[in-house]
Amino acid sequence: MKIIIDNIECEAQKDETLLQIARRNDIHIPTLCHNDALPGLGSCRLCVVEIVDKGRRSVVASCIYPVRNEIEVYTCSDKIKNIRRNLLMLLRGRVPNDETIKKLCKEYLVPDRIKFSGDKDEHCILCGLCVKACQELGASAISTVNRGITKKVTTPYDEPSAQCIGCGSCAYVCPTDAIKIEEKDGIRNIWNKEFQLLRCTRCGKPFATKEQLEYNREKLGEAHVKLLCESCKKAIIAEKLKDIYEKV
Amino acid sequence: MMSRTVYVCCGTGCLANNSMDVYKQLKKLAQKYEADVEVKTIVKATGCNGLCEKGPLVKIQPDNICYSKVKPDDAEEIVKRTLMNGEIIDRLLIYDTALKRRVISHKDTDFYKCQMKIALRNIGEIDPANIDEYMERGGYKALRKALFQMTPQDVISEIERSGLRGRGGGGFPTGVKWRQCSKFQNFPKYVICNGDEGDPGAFMDRSIMEGDPNTVIEGMTICAYSINSNRGFIYIRDEYSLALNNMNNALNQARERGLLGKNILNSGFDFDIEIVRGGGAFVCGESTALMQSIEGNVGEPRAKYIRSVEKGLWGQPTVLNNVETWANIPEIIMKGSDWFCSIGTENSKGTKVFSLVGKVKNTGLVEIPMGTTLRELVYKIGGGIIGDKKFKAVQTGGPSGGCIAEDLLDLPVDFDSLKEAGSMMGSGGIIVMDERTCMIDVARYYLSFLSEESCGKCVACREGIKRMLEILTDICDGKGIEEDLELLESLCHTVEEASLCGLGKTAPNPVLTTLKHFRNEYYAHIIEKRCPAGVCPELTAYEIDKKLCKSCGLCAKNCPASAILGKRGEAYSINTQLCIKCGNCIDSCRFNAVKVKKEVGK
Amino acid sequence: MRTLFEKYPKEKRYTLSILQDLQKQYGYIPKDKLIELSQYMGIPLSRLYSMATFYKALSLKPKGKYIIKVCDGTACHIRSSKTILDEIENTLGIKPGETTDDGKFSLETVNCLGSCAIAPVMVINNKYYGKLTSSMVREILKEYGGADDE
Repeated sequence: MKIIIDNIECEAQKDETLLQIARRNDIHIPTLCHNDALPGLGSCRLCVVEIVDKGRRSVVASCIYPVRNEIEVYTCSDKIKNIRRNLLMLLRGRVPNDETIKKLCKEYLVPDRIKFSGDKDEHCILCGLCVKACQELGASAISTVNRGITKKVTTPYDEPSAQCIGCGSCAYVCPTDAIKIEEKDGIRNIWNKEFQLLRCTRCGKPFATKEQLEYNREKLGEAHVKLLCESCKKAIIAEKLKDIYEKV
Repeated sequence: MMSRTVYVCCGTGCLANNSMDVYKQLKKLAQKYEADVEVKTIVKATGCNGLCEKGPLVKIQPDNICYSKVKPDDAEEIVKRTLMNGEIIDRLLIYDTALKRRVISHKDTDFYKCQMKIALRNIGEIDPANIDEYMERGGYKALRKALFQMTPQDVISEIERSGLRGRGGGGFPTGVKWRQCSKFQNFPKYVICNGDEGDPGAFMDRSIMEGDPNTVIEGMTICAYSINSNRGFIYIRDEYSLALNNMNNALNQARERGLLGKNILNSGFDFDIEIVRGGGAFVCGESTALMQSIEGNVGEPRAKYIRSVEKGLWGQPTVLNNVETWANIPEIIMKGSDWFCSIGTENSKGTKVFSLVGKVKNTGLVEIPMGTTLRELVYKIGGGIIGDKKFKAVQTGGPSGGCIAEDLLDLPVDFDSLKEAGSMMGSGGIIVMDERTCMIDVARYYLSFLSEESCGKCVACREGIKRMLEILTDICDGKGIEEDLELLESLCHTVEEASLCGLGKTAPNPVLTTLKHFRNEYYAHIIEKRCPAGVCPELTAYEIDKKLCKSCGLCAKNCPASAILGKRGEAYSINTQLCIKCGNCIDSCRFNAVKVKKEVGK
Repeated sequence: MRTLFEKYPKEKRYTLSILQDLQKQYGYIPKDKLIELSQYMGIPLSRLYSMATFYKALSLKPKGKYIIKVCDGTACHIRSSKTILDEIENTLGIKPGETTDDGKFSLETVNCLGSCAIAPVMVINNKYYGKLTSSMVREILKEYGGADDE
């Protein structure tokens, strides 16, 4: 099946998302809540595009829109630019000092002075990626709480969570660096809980929490869990590969 | 002696007026005097015939007498005079404001005569706790007809031809939905009844579930047969305890009679229904959020790019319709699509139930053919505005709908005409507003409602509503500037286009329609810094017209701040320092002597 | 406690029903019960907490003996439900969402009770009061022992 994105003809499979197709064809669509490993949130709405399906125009979120017909797509029409500008203005109202949002605001010509004000220390845009990452990982320590304009992401009762393994996946996927991880003297603090960090047996750098390792052991078995940090793991693999190539 | 049956309305409205005590007293006295009468409670919809406000209502059959505002002390007289001797007690009869006299039966009122009952056909006529009464009025005949005289395809074609459109809001053709779902050969399939009625001002679904639960069960079973589904769910708002109760009871009775469960009426077809209690979230009225809720999740909607008929509950093909839609099904199957098509307008067939509320004389549920004009609704059926004040607008469609101004009063009401006017049918709430309603306050009210009820998942809806609400609050507080209107409009369009689900997409409607039809009121707030309706406290001042004041003192009596002074024989006056601008004085004055000042001195 | 849970099959879709039963039994959802439910059902606590804060029928805070729900549906709103609410707030000294110190009254607003024909409306523990005025509210609260005799 073929679809046309910004006048470029693109090959598409049934039920592929528009965003997937666009990215494959190097057509840029901005996103905040999209992560290839955790797709399907559709909450930030920044990826909206205009489509024409059998003569009917509509605005859809490209990250979750499954392609089923040979449609035409416009990713940066004036209408779309306007929508993105307003969405970014709304986001800047929520997180006035966030650099990621500020940068996007500049790109979409959001005026410097806007009517809306918000908490100057707030960085969370409530996209939900962290919650999804935590769920997929299996710990499910955090969730969205409340609804409507009082919605937020937190641990149950805002207390340190028994389930949290301090892996930091939530912070890693966060598009606006809103989740604070502090590391000092071999202690990691995240979501108000302290974790002892383990050191890499190769380089000696603190790299993972005890709870994280235990969790992985339980899931993958003793044999697969070694006390090595990511860069050392890579280095070891590289060395092995080098050996193989040299032998060849 | 003639045998009589007494029906005491025990719907929520009448219960609030002590109808249970009336019922007990009547029952006790009927036994005491050994009158040959049967006393029954009957659950009628709140405001069923618009007479709830005249409750408790007591109906006596077969005489067809309807008494209003009955007190427990009246019971003895009713038993002795009416039940035993057939006499009519004049002072208890309903006073019809249009006819300017008392009427024996509620059916003699204009309010009742203009209506045509299909979905509400049994409400107030049967005891919902007794399946036999439903069956005596033709209940479950349609199911029998469908199962034994029609193929599933016949059923779908009949519904398609009838032109029935979903009564829950969107107006999607019901038959088309069933047809689409029937084509997917992916089992199990589910049938859902959306009873999570949440639009403030609408209560027809509640009244049907309370007053005629079996019609919903029958409608759903017919659909299940046509799409080959064996399992259904009825999602009922948690606040509707009576509806939950009556529906549960009806399901049990239907099972006992073999009308539900395995091998229905020996046809070989299995279908059963389960009730799911809602958790108190308006957004769960949105079909995909409702399904999330049934699955045991937080009720966050999903995008509808793939429809529920293909992937709905637990990812399976699902037909979801609302209560009123289900209530129409048995009648269409029994009387045929030609009959149904003959009612209504070109593209909106049949009738629609509206809850006519607000500043109108007769409030309540009314069922009228599609295409009836708003003017008929407000002035003929509704009897006009309370206190004969000036009509300002009607709001339809709840938080997703809009406000329609006086110039559109002759609009024939149907799905398409309302949409064209910027509003929507929604579930059928019609809220009448008069000169004492501030349209900015109304728009703000809906946004404030939605700011709490939005699921909060997507940026457009959550942040957009929050900021629009801020702007409107500023305007109501007298802090608005002209540029706000432009920003407001721009935000409206973004929220409309970019929101994930229907709640967000329609959220700007109350703002957009008031901006369109009542822009002058916005300017009055922003530029003149006054609220013409006298509602927004910061922009309001009242005065008493000395010429009109009859010095009755009613305003002073009703003033919670003791801000009104005066004595008999002299005109009263308001101490503006003490006044809290609640408006009680205006609303209580019978001579229109209390006025909203044209200029607010600051 | 187990018996309350065991009324339902151990399936995710019954969590909302169980939470509602807990709410009914305790007047709110106690923390230890939420944790217990999480272990019993094998559903993460964060998920249950998310539900308990999402659905308005559920509450994490204890409620008063009498729960006053003031309807602020559209019909009530334009028939001055605000005045009714103000009256209660002044008499009891609590705002919506709060409970009096003696644990006697909780005040809530609800969006529509479907009793628009008798607006403005309030409900105290399932008893409906319609066509309210400020002075009626005072009288009703007195019946429940809520008004001071100042």
